[in-house]
This record gives sequence, C-alpha cells and structure tokens, in this order.
Amino acid sequence: MNEIITVLVNSLLAAGLYATMSYGLAVIYGVMRIINLAHAGILMLGAYATLTLNSRLGMDPFLSLVVVIPVFFGFGVLLYLTMIRRLPRSSGGPSIESLLLLFGVWLVLQNLAYAIWTGDTQSILTRYTMKSVVLLGVRVGIPTVAVFSVSALSLVVLQLVLRRTYLGRAIRAVTQNRDAAMIAGVNADRISAAAFGIGTAFAASAGSMLATMYAFTPDFGRSFLLKSFCIIVLAGMESVAGVAAGAFVLALLENFVGGYTTLPTSFQDALSFTLLVLALVAFPQGLVGAFSRATQRWRRLGRA
Amino acid sequence: MKTRGVFAAAALVLLLAAPRFLERGTLNDIWNVAFAVILASAWNLLGGFAGQVSIGYSAFIGIGAYTTVLLSLAGWHPYATLPVSAFLSAAFSVIVGLPTFRLRGPYFTIATIGVSEAVRVVAAGVAFTGGSSGLRMPAGSFDFQRDYSAMVVLAVLVVALAAWIQASPFGQALRAIRQDIDAAEALGVHSTKYKVLVHALSAALVALAGSLFAINFQYISPNSVFDFRLSLSIVLMPIVGGLGTVAGPVLGALLFGYLQIKLLSSPALRDSYLFLYGGMLIAVMLFEPRGLLGLYRRVRGRITRSFSRPVPDAG
Repeated sequence: MNEIITVLVNSLLAAGLYATMSYGLAVIYGVMRIINLAHAGILMLGAYATLTLNSRLGMDPFLSLVVVIPVFFGFGVLLYLTMIRRLPRSSGGPSIESLLLLFGVWLVLQNLAYAIWTGDTQSILTRYTMKSVVLLGVRVGIPTVAVFSVSALSLVVLQLVLRRTYLGRAIRAVTQNRDAAMIAGVNADRISAAAFGIGTAFAASAGSMLATMYAFTPDFGRSFLLKSFCIIVLAGMESVAGVAAGAFVLALLENFVGGYTTLPTSFQDALSFTLLVLALVAFPQGLVGAFSRATQRWRRLGRA
Repeated sequence: MKTRGVFAAAALVLLLAAPRFLERGTLNDIWNVAFAVILASAWNLLGGFAGQVSIGYSAFIGIGAYTTVLLSLAGWHPYATLPVSAFLSAAFSVIVGLPTFRLRGPYFTIATIGVSEAVRVVAAGVAFTGGSSGLRMPAGSFDFQRDYSAMVVLAVLVVALAAWIQASPFGQALRAIRQDIDAAEALGVHSTKYKVLVHALSAALVALAGSLFAINFQYISPNSVFDFRLSLSIVLMPIVGGLGTVAGPVLGALLFGYLQIKLLSSPALRDSYLFLYGGMLIAVMLFEPRGLLGLYRRVRGRITRSFSRPVPDAG
C-alpha cells in the first residue's frame, strides 16, 4: 500500500513538469500544425539561462523564470517572424519542411551552447537542493515540490488565459479550424506568432525547472522532447486538462516500472519511446480522441 | 538511359583503375566519399523517392558492421558475411516498418527518432557489442586494395539502382506515395507494401556499407557506428544535394565527404559542425527545398533564358 502511495505521489509531482514542457509543444502544433523539433534545444537553453542568472547574479532558479519567460517569448516570436512564417503552409498535416527546418534550429542552438558554456556537465546547487519534506508519508525533495507548484500555477494561469481572454479564444479557434477562424476575423498570422512565443516560453521555463533537478549538457533535452511528444500524442492537442492527463499517464508508467522492476535507468527512457510508438500506432488521435469517440459510441448505443 | 549506362561504366572503370596512379591518401578520400554516396543514395530511396524521412538509419549501419565483425570473429570470411548483414538489416527494417509506417510524414519521423534512441541505448547496454571498448576484426582480414574496390563497386551499383528504380513502375508508385498518399491508395497503390519494400531495400544497402566500413576500419564500437554525426549526415546529404533525385544525393555526398575531410583536419571547424549542418538545413529549407540540384537548375534556367529569345514558358 505504501509503495502504491509512493508511486502515485512521485508520478503526480513529475506530471506537473511534464505537462508544462508538453504544453509548449502542443500549442505550437495546435495553432500551426508544426512539430517543433527545436523544443529540445529550447529546454536546454532555458536550463543554461537559469544557470547563468544563478551563477552571475545569484538569482534563485525559480525567480529567474521572471526573466526567462519574457526573453524566450520574444525569442519564439522572432523565430516565427524570421523563419517559420516564410515556409509554405501545408493544407493537411504538418509538413516535413517545417520539421527539418526546426531540426536545423535545434542543431544550431546546441552548437551555440557548446560555444558559450562548453560541453561540461553543469548543475545548479541551491540551499534547498538536498533538502526534503514528507508528503502523505512519502519523502520528496524540495526542488521537486517547488517545480510541481510552479508548473501547476502556470497551467492554471494558462487555462484562465485560454478561457477568458481574446488571445486565448483566438488560439483555440485557430487550433480548431484555421480557415473558419480567419473568416471570423482572427488575424491568424499574429496568433501564430503569439502561440510560437508562448510555446517557446513554456519550453524554456520547463528547462529552467529541470535544471534544479538534473545535471545537464548542451545535448540535454532529447529524451524530454520524446517524452513531451509522447504526452501530446497520448493527450491530443486540444485541452490543457488532456495534456495534464497524458503527462500523468507517462509519469505513472515510468515510476511504476522504476519502483517495481529492476530495469536499469537507461532502459527506462526506452520505455517512453516504446510507449510513444505504441501510442502513435494505436491512437493516432490521442487518448482523449479515443475516449471521446468511445463515449460517443456509448451514447449512440444508449439512444438506440 | 543508354548514355547513363555508359557514364556509370566509365566511372566504375576509372575508379577501379585509380589505385594505379593515385596515392593512398587520395584513395582514402575516395573511399570515404563512396561510403557517403551509398548512405545518401540508399537513404534517398525511402526519404526522397517515397518521401518518408527517417532519422534512425544509423541502426542499419550498426547492424551491418556488428554482423560482419561478430561473424568474422567466429571464423567466417569477412565478405561471406555481407549477405547475412543485408538480410538481418532488411528483417529489422520490416519489424520497425510494419508498425511505424501506419504513421504519416512527420509522425513517422518522430517515431524513427524514438526507435534510434532505443537502439542506441540497447546497443550500449548489451554485452555482445563490446560496450564502450568496442570490437576488433580478426588479424589478417585487412586488404585496402580489395576493400577499396568493394566500396566503389557498391557505390556505383547503388547509384545505378537508384536511377533504374526512378524510371521503373516501382519508382512511379513511390513518387505517387510522396505526392499524395491518399490519391495513390485510391489509384490502387498498396502504400504500406511499397514503403516496407523500399525501406528493406535501402536498409540492406546501408547495412552493406556498414559491413564494408567495419572491414576497412577493423575496429567498431557503439560510439563509432551509432555516431550522431553519422546519422545526421545520412539525412543531410540527400536534402542538401536534392531530395528525390538520383544526382542530388551524390552531389550532397561529395560536399559532405569534402567537409568531413576538412572537419577532421581543423579543430575549429570540428567544434562547429552542428552549426554548419544546422545552418545548411535551415538555408535549404528556407531558400531552396530542392537542394543544390534545384539551385543549379534555377540558375541554369535563368542563364539560358537570358541568352535566348523569349518563348512561352512550357512549365
């Protein structure tokens, strides 16, 4: 019983961060039908930005988000205006050109990090890095709890923005149907720029928070990219709640395998890749899509 | 078609005669370029002709190289291992392809990143790959003259095969899949069957190159055959050269072969290869998605147009 609670608590805490980093990918995909392969590079750059703010200015990693979020929002908008916008828009699914372009951006970002910070492994140490608290009888590190709290807060703010503001409604409208949104007077180009900025800012803030928990190098982020991708595939691209649920499913699976089997850690990463491939093959429309289809079928059966 | 055959035969004769009048260093460079040509042209069969971009091709190089080294250590003649490595690689490609080819375009690409990560992690973790210390070929299995000839013959054969496929009904089916998979299906092209077939073919060719790589280098490790730079350049060569053409990957391989040699000799360049590769990818995608070949055609078109009387554009 205790073990189950341990797995549940750890999964919930990990899921907060996973949801934040996945939402960055989801909003860009939703609005532009582009898979942002540079996501991993942005995560990594966010971690290094926090490292620099921490070591040069002595800024607390969580306080550094105040700088990181606006800076990377601007960076995302810039990426959109200089590159993404120039690509021919594909009508149906995401185009391979956008994928390869952003792959190129990722490589350049990686090289930038090697040039500025070298390839040495870095980590951020604070007063509370090694401290822990007891939650529901489970001992968890303070950084983990802090990361969860900040992630949860940012997801709540995001949800409010998406529901209550014009920008949020426009983002959802373009996600659902770009042409219809444009007919209704939404400036899809401007919304795309904003969405790319928001996605980049979310990815960078997730990177900043990851830096308080893990050591990192310029190569950092690849496994998190695949995790994020796995989550949005599980979750579908539509809702924040869906992304959170997908994040929880992945975290649960990882913690379950970590807690109950003796699989080496390096193989655990392979788990999310396997889940990703299985999820892509089994539910091309995501778990949420599969779920809503199932409920619809159920309702139809009830009526008949 | 006929002139092309003559051209290929001439290239083959010239390359095979090269050891008589060229130095060892130059031959090594030619060997490297031939290796690159095989990888680029074989990848292009799936990525270019059929439009399915896979980032997981280092797995096939690894399968080829390890099959050859392990069987040679068991007493086989190195060249007798080639059919086995081609077969194993093709079999692995089918196992990977059957589930992943249900995905389209970029989704397929992402799945291949997952597969290649899994392969890399497993290869570093299992015992028979020799771990990080790697494996060495048995002594006395090295003969540069022979290995050089094998590599250039394979390179010319792969390019000829690509040209033949492009002109064949098989190639037309692949092109249809790239242009519009739904339309291709509606016209009776069994897209999954064709994708699995061409994937297996290109995987087998890449594995052969991996085997020849192992025979010439005499030493392999998960880091050398699953190298990120290698799997990166496999994708970049055809894209930079000209995706979905026969000459494009060859052009890209020549450029990358040259870059590789420059990279190895200059530490400053070696540290910025990601910058170089990433920048090229960005530039190609933004300015000329058809690569160097597309650029050449555009420039040539402009020049001939400026020299000739204006005629109605025939498209």
